[in-house]
Amino acid sequence: MAGLIQNTALIGDDIPRLSGLREKGREAFRLPTAKTEAWRYTRLHALKADDFVVAPSKFLAELAGGEENGECACCRGQDCADDRSECSCGCGSREHENGCRCQGHHHRRESLPFAAYELHFDNGKFVPVYPVLPPGAEVMTLMEAVITGEERHLLNKYAELAKYPFAALNTACLEEGLFVRIGRNVCLDRPLAIINHAVDTGVNLMANIRNLIVVEEGAKAELVEYFAYEGNPKARYFNNIVNEIYLGAKAEFNHYKFQNESYKAVHIALNLVRQKKGSVYGGFCLQKGADLGRNETRVQLTEEEAKAEVNAVYLMNGWATLDTTTDIEHLAAETYSSQLIKGVVGGEAKGVFQGKIHIAPGARKTEGRQLHKALLLIDTAEVDAKPELEIFADDVKCSHGAASGDLDKEQLFYLCSRGIGEEEARQLLIDGYLAEVLARADNAAVREWLSANIRETK
Amino acid sequence: MSTALLEIEDLHARVAGKEIIKGLNLTINEGEVHAVMGPNGAGKSTLSYVLSGKPGYEVTGGTIKFRGRDLLSMPPEDRAREGLFLIMQYPVEIPGVPVTGFLKHAVNAGRKYRGEPELDTMEFIKMLREEGRKLGIDAEMLKRAVNVGFSGGEKKRLETLQMTILKPQLAILDEADSGLDIDALKVVAEGVNRLRDDRRSLLVITHYQRLLNYIVPDVVHVFAEGHIVRSGGKNLALELEETGYAEFVKEK
Ligand SMILES: Nc1ncnc2c1ncn2[C@@H]1O[C@H](COP(=O)(O)OP(=O)(O)OP(=O)(O)O)[C@@H](O)[C@H]1O
Ligand SMILES: [Mg+2]
Repeated sequence: MAGLIQNTALIGDDIPRLSGLREKGREAFRLPTAKTEAWRYTRLHALKADDFVVAPSKFLAELAGGEENGECACCRGQDCADDRSECSCGCGSREHENGCRCQGHHHRRESLPFAAYELHFDNGKFVPVYPVLPPGAEVMTLMEAVITGEERHLLNKYAELAKYPFAALNTACLEEGLFVRIGRNVCLDRPLAIINHAVDTGVNLMANIRNLIVVEEGAKAELVEYFAYEGNPKARYFNNIVNEIYLGAKAEFNHYKFQNESYKAVHIALNLVRQKKGSVYGGFCLQKGADLGRNETRVQLTEEEAKAEVNAVYLMNGWATLDTTTDIEHLAAETYSSQLIKGVVGGEAKGVFQGKIHIAPGARKTEGRQLHKALLLIDTAEVDAKPELEIFADDVKCSHGAASGDLDKEQLFYLCSRGIGEEEARQLLIDGYLAEVLARADNAAVREWLSANIRETK
Repeated sequence: MSTALLEIEDLHARVAGKEIIKGLNLTINEGEVHAVMGPNGAGKSTLSYVLSGKPGYEVTGGTIKFRGRDLLSMPPEDRAREGLFLIMQYPVEIPGVPVTGFLKHAVNAGRKYRGEPELDTMEFIKMLREEGRKLGIDAEMLKRAVNVGFSGGEKKRLETLQMTILKPQLAILDEADSGLDIDALKVVAEGVNRLRDDRRSLLVITHYQRLLNYIVPDVVHVFAEGHIVRSGGKNLALELEETGYAEFVKEK
C-alpha cells in the first residue's frame, strides 16, 4: 500500500512550516488494518486496488507560467476533447476563456438552487474565482494563508495525526484547500458554498483537500459543502477531506454537507471542530453517494455553554458502505450536544454508525444526547452501530439510543388502502421517517435542497 | 332493477393460520346501506380487511366481485382506486407524513388511475380546508402528521374526511362511531350522509344502534362466528339491543 503517498512535487517544500507538516503526515500515516478499532466496521477494500493517481500540482504549474500564458483555468491548457463552439448550457456564449474550447469556463455544471458565496474545486483543484464577500470575511487558498502567516499556526494544531490515519495522509499531501476567516461579529448574509466537482478523466484520481475555517468571536456564518460528480456514475476516484473549524466565543456556525459522489468513489472526510464559550455548531450531513463513504466529526466543547448539534442522514443501495462517526468531547461545564442520525439502507449495503460522547472530569451540568436509527429496506442490508458513552463527571444528562427495522407494514397498508401505489407509499414513509432529522437543518432553502435530493433517486 | 355493487359468495378467510370467515354470503346493491352487527371477535374487522386487501388476510375460498370485477385479484391500491374505502377501527399513526401531502398523493393516484389530470395544489388545499371545516378539522390539524397525537375522536373525523375527499362508491365503516362523543357522532354521520346518492353504498359495522339513527340502514345483518346468521330490516338493530347475541352464538 505504498500507493497513497506518492512522490508528487508540491509547492513550498522549501518552506519549513509546510515541509514540516508534510513530514509529520508521512510519518503518521498507517492504513487502518482489521484490528484498528476506529475502522473496525468499515471495509476499506475499495482502497485496496491501490490504483489512485495524484494529479500534478496546479500551484507549480502556475509558477511555471502555464496559466498566465493564456491557458484556460478549467482545462489548464490541455486541448479539450469537447470542440463544440457553443457553450453546452444553452447560454449562447461562444466565449471560451482564453480562446480555449473547454466548456466549463464561466459557469459550473452543478449549481445550487439558492444564493451562496460559491467556491469551486474541479477534481480537487481550486478554481481561482472568488466571490465578493462582505467586509470582515475573507477566503484565500490555504497555501497563501500558510505562506503569509494568516493561518497563525492553527493548521493541524489539534489534528492528532496518529489517531486519524487519513488526516495524516491529507497532511502529507498538504496543498489544496481554502482558508476562510469570518471576522469578529461579522454576520454572513448567505452561506459560503464549497462545491467539489468530480469530472471523469479516465484516471482514478486521488484528491486531498484541507480547509481551515475560523469563525471569530460573535460572528455568524453558514457553510454548504457539496460533493458532486459529472458524467460517468461509475467513475472511480478518492476524495480525502479534512476540515478544521474553530469557533470563537459566541460564534455561530451551521455546516451543511451533501456527499453525492459517484457510485464507485471513495470519500473520507474528517471534521475537527473546536468551540469556545457560548459558541454554537450545527452540523448536518447527507451522505448518498460513494462506494465507501465516511464522514467523521469530532467536536471539542472546550469552554462553558458551548453547544453542538451533529445530525446526519445516509441513504444507500447496492454494495456501498457509508460510515458516520462522531466524537463529542464535553471538556467544560454546562456544555450541550445533540446528535440525530438516520439511515435508509437497501441492497446489500452496509451502514456504520460509531458515536461517542465523552464527558471530561469537571464537565458538570452538561448534557449529551445521541440517537441513531436505521431503516433496513431488505434482509440483505446491514447496519453496525456502536454508541459509546464515557462519563467522568457527576450531575450530567446523557442518553443514547439505537434502533433499526423495516418499514412499518401497517403504515404501508394504510397508505395503499387510500389508493397510493406501493412504491410511492414506501417513498412517502421514507420521507416521513427522515422528516425529523431534516427539520434540524435551520436554513430553509438548504433544507429544501437537501430534501429534494433525498427524494430524487439518481 | 338494482345493480349489484358488491357480491360476496361463500367466502372463507384465515388470519394467522386460523379460519375466521366461514362461508359468508353478502350482496350489496348500488345505493344501499347495510349494517353489520355482531359480538366481539366474530370477524367483522377481518371481513373489512379482506375486502380492502390487507396482507396477511388469506382468502381460502369463495369469490368477491366489486362492480362486476374480481376484487381479490387486485392489490389494495387498485381496490381503493376502483372506489372502495375503509374507515378503520384503529387508524395507524404515521409520523413525519403530513395529512395534506398524504391526501394529495391519494387523490392524485386515483385521478391518474382514471385518466384524469392531477389536481392543482392550491385548488386541492382550498377544497381540503373547506371539507375539513365541515367535519371540525382545522387547518392546523391538516398540517400535522397523519393521526399522530390525534384523539380517538379526531382520528375518526380524519377517516371521514378522507372518505369525503376520495368519494368512494363503497365505504366500509368499521366502528366509525367508537370513541366519538355525541356531537362528533352527528358530525361524522352527516359527513357520511352528504356523500350518499343512489349509486354509492355503505357497509356499516357497529355495535350500537345510535349510529343507525343517523345513518339509516336498508338491511341489518347479524354476523357471528364467521358468517351472517340473520338478516332483517332496520328494526333488527333495535331488537338486538334488547336481546344481545346469545341466541346466535349458541346456535352453532
Ligand atoms: N392479525 C391477527 N392475528 C391473529 N388473530 C387475529 C388477527 N386478526 C384478527 N384475529 C382474530 O380473529 C378474530 C376476529 O377478529 P376481528 O377483529 O375480525 O373481530 P371483530 O368482529 O371485528 O371484533 P370487534 O367487535 O371486537 O372489533 C379474533 O379472534 C381475533 O383475535
Ligand atoms: Mg372489529
